[in-house]
Amino acid sequence: MVNLTIDGTQVTVSKTATIYEAAKEIGIKIPVLCYAKKLMPYGACRFCLVQVEQMKGRLIPACTTPVSEGMVVTTTSEEIEKVRKTVMEFLLVNHVLDCPVCDKGGECDLQDLAYEFGSTSNRFEGEKFDLPTDEVNPLIERNMNRCVLCGRCVRVCDEVVGYGSYSFINRGFETKIATAYDRGLSCEFCGQCVSLCPVGAILPRPFKFKARPWQIKEVDSVCGYCGNGCTVTLGVKDNKVETIRFNDEIGVNDGNLCIRGRFGYSYVNHEDRLTKPLVRKDGQLVEVEWDEALQVAADGLAKAQQGQGAGILSGARLTNEELFMLKQVAKTLGTENLDNSGGECYKGVTEGLKETLGVAASTGTFPQIEHADVILAIRSDFYETHPVVGMVVNQAIRRNEAQLLVVADKKGKLDKLPREKTLLSQPGLELDVINAMCKVLLDEGLAKTDGVDGVEELQAALADFGLAEVAKRTGVDAAALQTAAKQLAGAGNAAILLAYGLPYQGLSTELATAAANLAMLTGIAGREGSGLYLCGEKANSQGAIDLGILPQGNGLGARAMLAAAAEGKLDALYVVAEDPLSSYPDRDSIAKSLENVPFLVVQDLFLSPTAEQADVVLPAASFAEKDGTFTNAERRIQRVRHGIKSPGEARSDGAILTSLAGKLGSSLAFTGSAAIFAEIGKEVPAYAAFNYNEIGPQGVVWGGETLQPASRKLVAVAGGVAADGDFKLVTGSALYHSGTISTRAKGPTAVLSEAYLELCREDAADLKVADGDLVKVSGNGTELKLKAKVGNRLPKGVVFTPYHFAEAQVNRLYKGEAVIPVKLSK
Amino acid sequence: MFKEFAKGLSITFKHLLPGHSTTVQYPKVKLTPSDRFRGLHRLVPAQDREKCVACYLCPTVCPAKCITVESAENEKGEKYPEVYTIDMLRCIFCGYCVEACPVEAIEMTGAYELANYAREDFEFTKQRLLK
Ligand code: SF4
Ligand code: SF4
Ligand code: SF4
Ligand code: SF4
Ligand code: SF4
Ligand code: FES
Repeated sequence: MVNLTIDGTQVTVSKTATIYEAAKEIGIKIPVLCYAKKLMPYGACRFCLVQVEQMKGRLIPACTTPVSEGMVVTTTSEEIEKVRKTVMEFLLVNHVLDCPVCDKGGECDLQDLAYEFGSTSNRFEGEKFDLPTDEVNPLIERNMNRCVLCGRCVRVCDEVVGYGSYSFINRGFETKIATAYDRGLSCEFCGQCVSLCPVGAILPRPFKFKARPWQIKEVDSVCGYCGNGCTVTLGVKDNKVETIRFNDEIGVNDGNLCIRGRFGYSYVNHEDRLTKPLVRKDGQLVEVEWDEALQVAADGLAKAQQGQGAGILSGARLTNEELFMLKQVAKTLGTENLDNSGGECYKGVTEGLKETLGVAASTGTFPQIEHADVILAIRSDFYETHPVVGMVVNQAIRRNEAQLLVVADKKGKLDKLPREKTLLSQPGLELDVINAMCKVLLDEGLAKTDGVDGVEELQAALADFGLAEVAKRTGVDAAALQTAAKQLAGAGNAAILLAYGLPYQGLSTELATAAANLAMLTGIAGREGSGLYLCGEKANSQGAIDLGILPQGNGLGARAMLAAAAEGKLDALYVVAEDPLSSYPDRDSIAKSLENVPFLVVQDLFLSPTAEQADVVLPAASFAEKDGTFTNAERRIQRVRHGIKSPGEARSDGAILTSLAGKLGSSLAFTGSAAIFAEIGKEVPAYAAFNYNEIGPQGVVWGGETLQPASRKLVAVAGGVAADGDFKLVTGSALYHSGTISTRAKGPTAVLSEAYLELCREDAADLKVADGDLVKVSGNGTELKLKAKVGNRLPKGVVFTPYHFAEAQVNRLYKGEAVIPVKLSK
Repeated sequence: MFKEFAKGLSITFKHLLPGHSTTVQYPKVKLTPSDRFRGLHRLVPAQDREKCVACYLCPTVCPAKCITVESAENEKGEKYPEVYTIDMLRCIFCGYCVEACPVEAIEMTGAYELANYAREDFEFTKQRLLK
């Protein structure tokens, strides 16, 4: 701690603070322009000049100068004001000042400062900037005539996002911000630069001329896409979500978002949204009133339950409260057949972690990752599925010099970060690499085995996972593997990251179990500051697990239900917030199940391919239209808030489920989300500690920052099986999309609108295919045609295709395995 | 006291004599309001469009909240008011909109005969205001 005096007030701050931060602490506002809380000090604009007595009264920037003991700082004086005003005059020499048509007007830092300083005239004259603008880009509009060269965009894209799109080009008055070779933007489109530009030089294109900042109502909520659980602030005007506002005061994401969160909101306003319940009459889906639809659904389900039974399949974009109601519906109906998200992908948590660590959740929180010394990412897709945690990883590397290790079958964004080491393995064999790491630790006596059960058994089971053998099988360098294991074991704080989701079903339990073994042997599990993170694909994947949207008693899981339906052994299916036909593995068998099930109820936002098959379709509300809570992948329970009204007669899933439970004969009634949340606490003890109305802007984490494992039991898992075949196809998530819903949003589809087959240059040359050519992919008894995308991310012989696009029917090829052997031809 | 009383009345009577009245025979005779009179608004036209750039300052400053602006992008990529309407029934003729406009796109004319029969006729749309 350091003591100093600012404008006559004594203040004690940490020794890493700057003068600006110290002044802020005691409520003294120093004007800044280039400073941003989440970026490193830079000092480009000189608005924050202050005087320090010890420095002989020289003017120094407050935002870059660290405090020192006994400093005496003056933040305002006539001289300082004069200098600041002159800085403003310089900035305004070439600034175009088109505030009336600039969308930043009203929240522009330059405008605010000019107003504050009363700058109405300028002693200097110069030419106004007349640079070309980029208004072609569908997401990010750039008008460098308004740029004040603060460098915030350059810095955030590098320091936080780790992409590095921009830099300063040219010199002197000609200086401007540009991309490489001054071309159009071709990046992640996360929009971090948009949120940090203090002026109107970088703006969200979809929001162009839509509204003024002061007309917008801000609603703090949680992103409805992935399990990262970023808080988003909806910008609502006239009952429409018009934009996502920058807000770094709430949530764990520091105002960072990915393209889905920032630009993927438009599906909410989509004209294809279902607005009225539909019931099939004479083979046609016709619009009916709610009461009729609910009655038909309730009667059909009840009748089925009398017969061979009904099953409920849910997605993980329902709030905790809605999931609770879903369970009530299942109970009222009397069915034990209940499951979520395809029933397989989350088993890494419910089986893998449960068996080993005795808990069914990640053990750490995301902010801890930034302070980890070593981070192990299993599968490079982690950045694609959970981009904002990926940004935390980048910050850990850049700020705290963390070592990043990646075990993956292909390269990705993570491999472009500095100080990273990728252990590139054959697809499907990441498991062997993790096993080998465990073996290294056991063999070399580095393993922390105190209080850990099953050491001997594991040691015996891992006999085949010697460095040399594994290196040979997987293609990973033995020495690198050994070093990686040692680094992980030797780290003070470490994190292991693994994502799960529909396209990652293959070996999901095994991988999680192996990761848990490694977490125990390295001491990561349960250690303060370290963590094993299993991150779900959907906004409330963790909530669905916490609330037990899983097969009850002897009930069937998702796969078994679908199989039973296909064989005519299940009489009804109730599908909530899922589109199995488009997203579940093995499309053909799902199609058969949907065809053969006598009664199908689908509750969704759109008339999805699954809904088209339904007997009853119930129109539901999106995340922006409801209240409740989501639990993200680090166990953080956050408030989802109602921002707009649902289109037409669509109702929230919660409301639908409540009415349906009523029709089925339940007498349970709640007065709102808070009451249900309290009820959840009775069933899920971890939730009992919190009061719905007291969940603050940072949410609440159940189980504490570090979740203590209930057991420490090593469970051996066999290695993966190398796939044969000419090419090995892996499927997964693409950065710009999440699940299938983002394909209905304008932002993500503007960047990526269709499925593709990614392959490496060498393979492309061998097959004589160029970017954009159609390639025939055959395997698993089917054949698909996909557009080739040639890149250098994949090793030879491995091809990748994203699973989001329903039309591409990638799930006809993908049947839930980790790798699919395929043949390619032109 | 009586003297003062008579003096006062004489002034009054003087004004009653023909040629001394300040009122006119409206509507047969009409006065020309002063240049600073705040009457019906007019949107100033420019070359091929209205001068207004839909900055939303006038609807924001308007104390009677009677101005509706909806901005949009035209083919040239410029910002323009797709909708610009003033509800004359609510307007209090304060002139704040004129003062706020950064591009001098709105002014107030001398037109003060605004009475009408139907409510809709008090909705002054962009087309009417541009006349
Ligand atoms: S960047 Fe700010 S000062 Fe410049 S034109 Fe836009 S609103 Fe005005
Ligand atoms: S959108 Fe994101 S990745 Fe693209 S330039 Fe901006 S900060 Fe960088
Ligand atoms: S574009 Fe914006 S953020 Fe980037 S340097 Fe210019 S003013 Fe700063
Ligand atoms: S999709 Fe995930 S990472 Fe992206 S903004 Fe939403 S919650 Fe955050
Ligand atoms: S203030 Fe002027 S430019 Fe702005 S909306 Fe009103 S009339 Fe148009
Ligand atoms: S804010 Fe300190 S130099 Fe810009």
